[in-house]
Amino acid sequence: MAQLSLRGVRKNFRNVEVLRGIDLEIHDRELVVFVGPSGCGKSTLLRLIAGLDDISEGEFTLNGRSMVNVPPSKRDIAMVFQSYALYPHMNVYDNMAFGAKLMGLSKDEVQKRIDETAATLQLGPLLQRKPRELSGGQRQRVAIGRALVRKPAVFLLDEPLSNLDAALRSEVRLEIAKLHNDIGGTMIYVTHDQVEAMTLADRIVVLRDGMIEQVGTPRELYETPANAFVGTFIGSPRMSLLKAVRDGDRFGVAGSGAVLLPDAPETGKTVTLGIRPDALSLAPEGATDGFEAEFEYAEYLGNDAYIYARLGDGTRVSLQGDTKNLTHRPGDAVRLRPDPAEIHYFDSETGRSFRRP
Amino acid sequence: MPAPTSNGISRTPARTPRLRVSGRGLWITFLLVPPVVVMALFVIYPIFSALAYAFYDWQGLARGDFVGFANFEKVLFQQPFAATTWNAFKNNIFVFFALMIIQNGLGFILAYALWRDLPGARFHRIAVFLPVVLSTVIIGYVWKLFFHPIFGAVNQLLKAVGLGSLATPWLGDADTALNALIFVNAWAWVGFPTLVFLAGLQRIPSEILDAARMETDSELTLIRRVIWPLIAPSATVCFVLLFIGSFNWFELPYIMVGLDGSPYGNTDVLGLYFYRTAFGNQSAGIQDFGMGSALAVLMFLFIAVVATSWTIYLRKREIEV
Repeated sequence: MAQLSLRGVRKNFRNVEVLRGIDLEIHDRELVVFVGPSGCGKSTLLRLIAGLDDISEGEFTLNGRSMVNVPPSKRDIAMVFQSYALYPHMNVYDNMAFGAKLMGLSKDEVQKRIDETAATLQLGPLLQRKPRELSGGQRQRVAIGRALVRKPAVFLLDEPLSNLDAALRSEVRLEIAKLHNDIGGTMIYVTHDQVEAMTLADRIVVLRDGMIEQVGTPRELYETPANAFVGTFIGSPRMSLLKAVRDGDRFGVAGSGAVLLPDAPETGKTVTLGIRPDALSLAPEGATDGFEAEFEYAEYLGNDAYIYARLGDGTRVSLQGDTKNLTHRPGDAVRLRPDPAEIHYFDSETGRSFRRP
Repeated sequence: MPAPTSNGISRTPARTPRLRVSGRGLWITFLLVPPVVVMALFVIYPIFSALAYAFYDWQGLARGDFVGFANFEKVLFQQPFAATTWNAFKNNIFVFFALMIIQNGLGFILAYALWRDLPGARFHRIAVFLPVVLSTVIIGYVWKLFFHPIFGAVNQLLKAVGLGSLATPWLGDADTALNALIFVNAWAWVGFPTLVFLAGLQRIPSEILDAARMETDSELTLIRRVIWPLIAPSATVCFVLLFIGSFNWFELPYIMVGLDGSPYGNTDVLGLYFYRTAFGNQSAGIQDFGMGSALAVLMFLFIAVVATSWTIYLRKREIEV
């Protein structure tokens, strides 16, 4: 059972305000991912939850109990660190037993838990090895094992995959997802990788400059981003942002002409259009609708292909497309048709999304 | 003139690297020879000559007959020499253990306090290390003045704060003389273990400490189970260097209490006894190069064997972080 509640949490390091008022509820058995660009405060927030840093202002409760002045080891929280942070002088068994023994568990209980964990994570043959004799992936599993042995109410994972190579990363990602299913604990996972966030999370918390930009399921964030920042942060390749001037139902981009977008929400005269690669397509030759653009280059990824083009005002846009029959050369004039139903409208000043009625 | 090869290309380019290697070799030799000569002349030669001298009978500076292990037998087992040797050795051992606790122990505590960035850490980091850079001669001389029974700052201070009954001739009293020397040595040198331990502490990755804090809130457990094993390399350096220093102890007692280890040999250590024996002193007047060399050889062997085996033992518990 773990119910975390953060209210008005702020964190200052001397004069620098790193977290500027965080309100967040995390429910039991939820896997919540904190995501955001580096320096957004996501790791700081995790450290506040862990108790490794003190909260400057605000309140944090775990199962209704205030965590202020509760030392990290008494919070029933375990953490997996980016560098794994295994004790280099202890073998794998002792690394996992250290915390469990300090919890006051009996020797038999510690042994039993380590046996279980070792079986789950396939660490059996490694128990007598020192961390330096392990590969990156194995160290990662030991770090997770060390957290599991304590059977904490909350697991914190701080960019646990960032030190692994790409192939191993997707493998361990699956293991973590499976682990969360099996043990069902509450997990908070920090990453700057939106693919990890999208694939693992029950809910994603997008942070920027010490503030929460949006909280929601991966689908909510992708389909209804609250603002242009979330829109561009979630999804790859990024959502293109077009500065447009509105005239009724017509939206014009400097140097690229205008397109007709019926049933657009109420907006001001200037508006930022957010268009994902799959909401934009190349118009057939001879078409007269769509934005005029200059073809730049195409990217073939095997199962997918992306075309990049530049609008009249210099904005680069990306679109998902078929490159098989593509005959365009860099510099060719093309026309890009947006899918009106898939377009996001953002306030040019604040970046806030205008929702359709 | 380089000979053209069958394809007409001059062979010179191939030869240039070989020339450069020999040039580099010359340069390395040029740099290596002076220190090797100095080492050989002033370190290796004296050690081996002392080893040789120890097996001869000496009349002043004139070498007499080969006497085998007689000199060793004298300093180790024949009275009155043996009593002096073992008394000095016992004092060396006491100095070593006392400094191990006071100097290295305090060094670790100071390093820990500096590492935790307690208020004023920056000032104290410099203050603690300052005496280390002072010459031992100056330190010894100044502290000898401080300990002066009548005019010394220590007794004056004790009287000023109403503890006049504790005032004592620190360096003249058999109960306090050696302890006073140990205190001065610790005062002067505590900065060294402090700095070495501090460097070790700063090398511990912060995430490992965070991980440990997630599992225990006891600072003592943290130090005992995580920090201490991780600064093992620093401990090795401090322990072994202190051991060598304690058994080679000479300058400070020489300056503060003189060659005789006064009062009554209470501060006598092997270094002083060796010097007295080999080169003589004003009060004893006698000089025995053979016995002195035997003492030097024994000291060297003892220090080398213990320091080496201890280093090997300590190295085993070191772990790459």
